[in-house]
Amino acid sequence: MSIALSLVEQLQRLAAEHQAVRITEVEVRCGVLRQVAPAALELAFTAATAETVAAGANLKVIEEGLVARCRACGTEFATEIDDYSCPTCQQADVEFVAGHDIVLTAVVCETPDR
Amino acid sequence: MKIKVIESVLKANDAVAQANRARLDAAGVLALNLMSAPGSGKTTLLEKTIPALVPQRCAVLVGDLQTTRDAERLDGIAAEVVQINTGTGCHLTATQVAAGLTSLDLSGIDYLFIENVGNMVCPAAFDLGEHLRVALLSTPEGSDKVAKYPTLFQPADAILLTKVDLSAILDFRSRKVYEDLSRVNSRAVLLELSAQTGLGMEPWVTWLRQQRCEHAGVAAARRAQPPGRGGGALETEELPRPAHAGPDLSQRGSL
Repeated sequence: MSIALSLVEQLQRLAAEHQAVRITEVEVRCGVLRQVAPAALELAFTAATAETVAAGANLKVIEEGLVARCRACGTEFATEIDDYSCPTCQQADVEFVAGHDIVLTAVVCETPDR
Repeated sequence: MKIKVIESVLKANDAVAQANRARLDAAGVLALNLMSAPGSGKTTLLEKTIPALVPQRCAVLVGDLQTTRDAERLDGIAAEVVQINTGTGCHLTATQVAAGLTSLDLSGIDYLFIENVGNMVCPAAFDLGEHLRVALLSTPEGSDKVAKYPTLFQPADAILLTKVDLSAILDFRSRKVYEDLSRVNSRAVLLELSAQTGLGMEPWVTWLRQQRCEHAGVAAARRAQPPGRGGGALETEELPRPAHAGPDLSQRGSL
């Protein structure tokens, strides 16, 4: 729910910046590391956007796979959430390059002149 | 009108977390975020750890959905305790920690323990402004939890296998934990302990003191001025490395 509430704050700020009267579509890229179930986020989004400029907006969630970088040898590799072993040196000491964040990527809105 | 943006949804939390960290750095406080399932022994660990760190002074921010029971247990043990009730929230946020920090006199504190809400999923996703993350796994939970909840253990700087005094009467296979950790986190220090009996507490306390030494050095370098209050003796103290520390899995597993 706190993710949905943060998203609503961002949407309200963007709407104000662009003088939008209504937000109709929202696109979010969700890294698998965040373990966000799209259905759960959609439900929380519906509740969090009620009576806001984004009420009734369609939420599109795009899942992003995990890419890690080995801190020991620098190898970058696509991986799964339960195994961070480096294919080169076998250490499991990584930082994430992709798939570790939730990113707002696009918003469709209506402005007064449309 | 379509607006294209690339903006982290969690950036508001992360910005507050950075501000919390800067505030703690300025006060010379080492902050640790304790994360685990409910009942894994976080509060008991603190009840036994804080007296062992004397004369260093500790404060605790305790996160729970309801009640002040954990804060009551730690009252009189820690220099300061603040209970944060999250209501229906299943994890602490950086904003809640920022509010908690305003209640503390940071100038009188060396360590801040943030006892997160008992939960093995959501707390790991939220930076609170801590310097180090500690994940606990108690033997009654079973030896499959690293594989089931890898996101909790992957970012941990220390992993504590707690309630090891019960391992003899439980079907707990430590080897399975070490095998799973070799795929999830080979960087963290792994320590086995029982806060109840005191078994393994010394290496844990040594590790904490060591981290404070290193942090004090880093913070002092950041400030580019001589180390300040409370850190002088520790900064020059020679401390032994804790047992079981390090990534070598052959050193792991005495259960």
